Amino acid sequence: MDAEAAALIAKGLVTFSMFGSGIGEGYLIGKALEAMGRNPDMSGVIFTRMIIGVALAESTAIYALVAFFLI
Amino acid sequence: MWFQLEREIPSLTSDVLFDFGFISISSSTLLIGVILVLLLVLAYRVRRFSIVPSKFQIVVESLFDGMYSLLDTITNDRKVTEKIFPIVGSILTFIAISNLIGLIPGIEQLTWEGKELLRTPTSDFSTTFSLALGTVLVVNFISLRKKGVLEYLNQFFNFKGLIQGFKKGIGPGLVSVVEFFVGVMDIVGELVKVVSLSLRLFGNMYAGQILTIILLGIFSLALPSLWLAMNIFVGILQAVVFASLVTAYYMLAVGDEEELEKEMVS
Repeated sequence: MDAEAAALIAKGLVTFSMFGSGIGEGYLIGKALEAMGRNPDMSGVIFTRMIIGVALAESTAIYALVAFFLI
Repeated sequence: MWFQLEREIPSLTSDVLFDFGFISISSSTLLIGVILVLLLVLAYRVRRFSIVPSKFQIVVESLFDGMYSLLDTITNDRKVTEKIFPIVGSILTFIAISNLIGLIPGIEQLTWEGKELLRTPTSDFSTTFSLALGTVLVVNFISLRKKGVLEYLNQFFNFKGLIQGFKKGIGPGLVSVVEFFVGVMDIVGELVKVVSLSLRLFGNMYAGQILTIILLGIFSLALPSLWLAMNIFVGILQAVVFASLVTAYYMLAVGDEEELEKEMVS
């Protein structure tokens, strides 16, 4: 196997990290919507905190993307 | 021609335009300079605001109010917001403008002697890394000044807890050894903050540019415009996320004690 083929396989493997990010974001947003449904008065605060959490959960996918371009 | 346009994918590093001794001015540095001049003009206009507002004044004031209420939801305290607003607000404004300025048509297509003249600053890793490093250093410095040198170092090297644990006996002593190593790991945590803040902003903006170019190759009439409209949203969202994470780190480093004091009083 030459180096180029290995790099392409590595690029494919890197995208696997997006599984975890997707699961995490879905869980986070679902829980936040549940909390908003229970307590609509707090929805503004919950929404900003949810956005921060989503950005944190997304960062693994972004690392994978950067690694994808670097390989 | 209507359906497929080929463009070069931008490189990770930006082109160096000219050198001043050991300082080299690259295309992203030039656009940072342009943005700073724009902000200076804006500051001059803002200083001349009157009691009877013009349309421009209403827009600026509502944006300002929005930033304030955003920070309020994180800090839960107007006084803390007022204290931290000068740094976080200016970071937010700078990142938002530099994310959005690349969307002006033609601004990234300007060339000078075969090199690109202006490049979105946040799609260059050196810009985002220095922003993140600067903010994390400032947060640590504020925490150092507020807690004093000894207590600041005690966060990371918890010798006091170690000694107290072993005075109680072997069992609590071993637990305090584990806690000591957790404290040492917090140093790594501070470094990871810098990396994650900078990579998130850079990754989003750079991936946005690359996706625009890929979409230009698929259906260049309609698809890129949809994605560029999405980019307005992404640019503002990333600026908001950067600013609110900096505020959250500030609250983690400094705010704990204030909240504790309040709970003790009430």
